[in-house]
Amino acid sequence: MEVNHRKIDIDQYDEDVLVESELCEPDPRDPAEVLNDTKQKAAAVRGSLSKGDIPGALTLVLENAPYGLNFEEAKNLNLQTLVTILNSTKATEIPAVVRSLSQDTQDTLMKYLYKGMALPGWGDVSGSVLLGWHEKLTEVAGTGCIVRAMTDRRIV
Amino acid sequence: MILLESNNYIIQTTLAEKCIKPSSLDVQFVDFDGVRFHLSTPERKTSLLLSMSIRCWDELVKYGVDQVLQREYGHRVKAQPESEYNVSLELDLEQFPPEGEERDSLIKSISLLKRNALAAPFELAFSTQKQLSASGTGQGELLALHYRDEEAIYVQASSDRVTVIFSTIFREETDRIFGKVFLQEFVDARRLPTIQSAPQVLYSTRDAPLELSHLPGLKQTEDVGYVTFVLFPRHFANPEVAGSTISHIQNFRDYLHYHIKCSKAYMHSRMRHRVTEFQKVLNRAKTEVAVTDRKTARYVPLPPIPQHV
Amino acid sequence: MTDPLARSRNSREVLLNPLTISRNENERVLIEPSVNSIRLSIKIKQADEIERILCHKFTRFMMQRAESFIVLRRKPVKGYDISFLITNNHTDTMLKHKIVDFIIQFMEEVDKEISEMKLSLNARARVVAESYLLAFNS
Repeated sequence: MEVNHRKIDIDQYDEDVLVESELCEPDPRDPAEVLNDTKQKAAAVRGSLSKGDIPGALTLVLENAPYGLNFEEAKNLNLQTLVTILNSTKATEIPAVVRSLSQDTQDTLMKYLYKGMALPGWGDVSGSVLLGWHEKLTEVAGTGCIVRAMTDRRIV
Repeated sequence: MILLESNNYIIQTTLAEKCIKPSSLDVQFVDFDGVRFHLSTPERKTSLLLSMSIRCWDELVKYGVDQVLQREYGHRVKAQPESEYNVSLELDLEQFPPEGEERDSLIKSISLLKRNALAAPFELAFSTQKQLSASGTGQGELLALHYRDEEAIYVQASSDRVTVIFSTIFREETDRIFGKVFLQEFVDARRLPTIQSAPQVLYSTRDAPLELSHLPGLKQTEDVGYVTFVLFPRHFANPEVAGSTISHIQNFRDYLHYHIKCSKAYMHSRMRHRVTEFQKVLNRAKTEVAVTDRKTARYVPLPPIPQHV
Repeated sequence: MTDPLARSRNSREVLLNPLTISRNENERVLIEPSVNSIRLSIKIKQADEIERILCHKFTRFMMQRAESFIVLRRKPVKGYDISFLITNNHTDTMLKHKIVDFIIQFMEEVDKEISEMKLSLNARARVVAESYLLAFNS
């Protein structure tokens, strides 16, 4: 007889249990198409950066960013593109850049900052760069922005 | 107190007391390294019997402990030690010198019984070194002293030095890590100009030094440490220097562990203090229960704990 | 006491998105919010073996006193050194901003305490070694 009956996950037999995919409306786009889009955005961002247009580059990356399940590859690529923007911004310019973004874009930026800090391996992501952006973004957008990153089920 | 004393404080104070006011006595006590003492008056108040049991007696006998004790205590060593003990001294208080320096130094020397017994292998090694130094080459026998259950001292003479190796066990992980910090400081301390004449110190964990590598049955685990002292002839140039070197080096293992324990106790009191401070900070978050005026003693039911603040 | 839902892994709908704040891989904080509680886990900086053992001793010492620390968990979340669980019950009966002060002060001081303990251990070891070796001169 199974002795560890207490450890059986009974929720797996519950038909009413909510699963991850039911928590929010899925991104309606096709994953392959989104990945393609993200790649094109990455190229466009390099163009903006060479002109020194940081707000433009950020808006490109953050608007219509892929979210939810099935987009892991595009999501990670987009994070990488974002990190190159963050790394190439001077610390003194950050407040002005953040202020120029729309509220939705600010919220998405916050989500990406947390995603970056949660990365297990790091690599070219520097904690102090992300924390610097986090500080300035919180000053401009307030703690509401953090709460929205915490509650929005559209995970980037 | 940073350095440990070599003599036994109980023997010293008890003897000093009994010289002044003899009375019947029967006490048992212990010293470092599981050494047991029994001090009693089996026949009359003025005749004390001091017996010692030491774990590595058989080894000490091989290294000439009998001669050493005979030299130190002469006729006071009993031919037949008390049963369950390795050596007994018969101390007739009536034959003790009158109060003064001479008596104090006799009492002091008796309280050094353990130190003197453990000195045997060191004295043997020192004299072996002198012989080897005359011939210029060769190595003396490796004198092992298993003075604790799992720990030992090894002494070996060669033509230009005497090597003393301690094997020691760090039972807990904390001891092992703290021990490493301490031993590293022993190695580093010799860089100081004032300490350059001290013996050279080496340490290793797990793997025994070369001198011991031929010994069978050595434990090879992370909790074993080996500390090597290299004594040069200047450390035992004359009997006085040799004596103080022996007293000092015998204590090494206990000294090291004593200070590891002190550090742990200190850390513990620090943590206790810091945690109390954290507790105070958290207590500020607890809402105070309203205090009503209590001018007369009467029954007041406790106010309900506020649910919403 | 209300059952703190953040402890249950299965009801995904009551859990919010976990957030990580980190300076680097070895110094990070994980915040796991839920509808009625928040679990906060800290990974404390440990530069070497000594700091590791001191950190372990310190957090264990504190967690053994978890009942008087109310918001402290007895066991940390895997991968972290210490975890706090703040439930709606705690925030109802205690001052929220003071709980925050406590967590912040803990994070600020625990690093300092560990490096001071390490310094004092080194200082003692030095004195102990020097005193012992100096005595060979006499």
